[in-house]
Amino acid sequence: MEPLLSVRGLTVTFGSFTAVEDVSFDIHAGQTLAVVGESGSGKSVTALSIMRLVELGTRGKIEGGEILFRTPDGDLIDLVQQSEDAMRVIRGNQISMIFQEPLTSLNPVYSVGDQVAEAVILHQGLDRDAANERVLEMFRLVRIPEAEKRMAQFPHEMSGGMRQRVMIAMALSCDPKVLIADEPTTALDVTIQAQILGLMRDLREQTGAAVLIITHDMGVVAEVADDVVVMNRARVVERGSATQIFESAAEPYTKALLASVPRLGSMAGRDEPAPFDLVEYQS
Amino acid sequence: MSPLVEVRDLCKHFPVGAGATVFAVEGVSLEVGQGETLAVVGESGCGKSTLAHTMIRLHDPTSGQVVLDGVDISTLGNRALREHRRKMQIIFQDPFASLDPRRPVGRAVAEPLHIHGMATGSEADDLVADLFVKVGLEANMMRQYPHQFSGGQRQRVCIARALATNPQLVIADEAVSALDVSIQAQVINLMMGLQAELGLSYLFISHDLAVVERMSHRVAVMYLGQIVEIGPRRAIFENPQHSYTQRLLDAVPIADPRARRDRPLLTDEIPSPVWPAGTSPERVVMREVVPGHLVAEEA
Repeated sequence: MEPLLSVRGLTVTFGSFTAVEDVSFDIHAGQTLAVVGESGSGKSVTALSIMRLVELGTRGKIEGGEILFRTPDGDLIDLVQQSEDAMRVIRGNQISMIFQEPLTSLNPVYSVGDQVAEAVILHQGLDRDAANERVLEMFRLVRIPEAEKRMAQFPHEMSGGMRQRVMIAMALSCDPKVLIADEPTTALDVTIQAQILGLMRDLREQTGAAVLIITHDMGVVAEVADDVVVMNRARVVERGSATQIFESAAEPYTKALLASVPRLGSMAGRDEPAPFDLVEYQS
Repeated sequence: MSPLVEVRDLCKHFPVGAGATVFAVEGVSLEVGQGETLAVVGESGCGKSTLAHTMIRLHDPTSGQVVLDGVDISTLGNRALREHRRKMQIIFQDPFASLDPRRPVGRAVAEPLHIHGMATGSEADDLVADLFVKVGLEANMMRQYPHQFSGGQRQRVCIARALATNPQLVIADEAVSALDVSIQAQVINLMMGLQAELGLSYLFISHDLAVVERMSHRVAVMYLGQIVEIGPRRAIFENPQHSYTQRLLDAVPIADPRARRDRPLLTDEIPSPVWPAGTSPERVVMREVVPGHLVAEEA
């Protein structure tokens, strides 16, 4: 199957520092690709590059590579070559993104319903009433209880989990082909994380969107990913299906990373606590 | 043998205006034995950090007792408290926020020695050097500044500082939560090694059940300010009795794609711990499952 989005040889620099070097991967419709790595591995910069947000404000520079995207019209375009005006049509409409901390992504002085409606009006040209209808539909889709009442609430009146649902509703409101989620559950409690991961999996099946999830959490990867790209120090060190990565990782870095992941149930039957059996990894 | 720390019916309430009250910690009782790790788990706002801060008297308790090594420290005055605080130290989540950016880290580690009159001058320097080696750093790193260290190294510095006064109890308040997973595992191994070497007791505050399962002897589950289940680690993880404990365990993502579970699409959330004027939460009633394993009765 032809990929929906294909990153080829992406290299991103900040001054003399190379944050992403020669990174390639494909994302397919209806599939979830996880890019996993530790702090500073380049995973978030990769995501921001696809949205072409890395050059805005942060002085990042896409030095090389292509980001090929199949538009809904069937054209194959290189996002790296698009103008800012062209990107503005693509962002939020065809490719949308959710971030780690929903509170900083929402405007504190507008109701959440108005903020999602604004995205719909901007991208889809609906009038206010039609936009509100769409918002209500989206809030129900992401299972916000009492959706109509919640639309009038402000971000500070909602819990972290509800705010992240609002962000997902906003991101999906224009039927994007690709959803990029950068650590979408990292700031959430574990029971709420389970709810949001379940929701994301469900929505991917319903909408057929491709999902790119950026995470440091191997547990989250195991829960949602079809395919996995492991990054370390700006480069892809290993790629494969989720089961391949977890059961037969070949690269020393991946093995070391997996050895340090605490796994619930790994201590069953043992009375005393036990240290991790760490795998030495020298880069 | 009597436990090192005994917390009896501890309460910490915060007024939040209009007569309303946050019942952050409500009637908590627990014990930590010598050389034992008691983990306190729960989600944001359950009161686990307030419990830790109240135990070490960063907050004064609303009521209840904290008996450390036979002495009730919950009502001690400042001078007497200082002497007992030496036995009890705390490590926080963010090591960068816990270190002064303008001072060499060695001075941060030496400070408790000065405050408690344990050592000065070159004697203190020697002790600090020993502590650096003990936590897996090099002695000459004591002259460097916090920004010259990685996150994991900074947390090692904070552990060295906590150990400077030869404490019996170390409270770790989400001490490994901000670290990358490979660094987290190293710091956990270090903490367990230090426990074996020095006979330390840990009160390990964490939201991460997989980490808790690794390193604790006993586990207390907190929900809305109260302990709803407490017992040996295996009892909590292998035979959880309370519905909230079960729900927490079910929610933990498992790092094995073949163990992927279909999750019901729930939307319920934890209620608020704020109670309007004149109202208060109902105290849970604990029932013994087997000796040492207690669970709150559910309606």
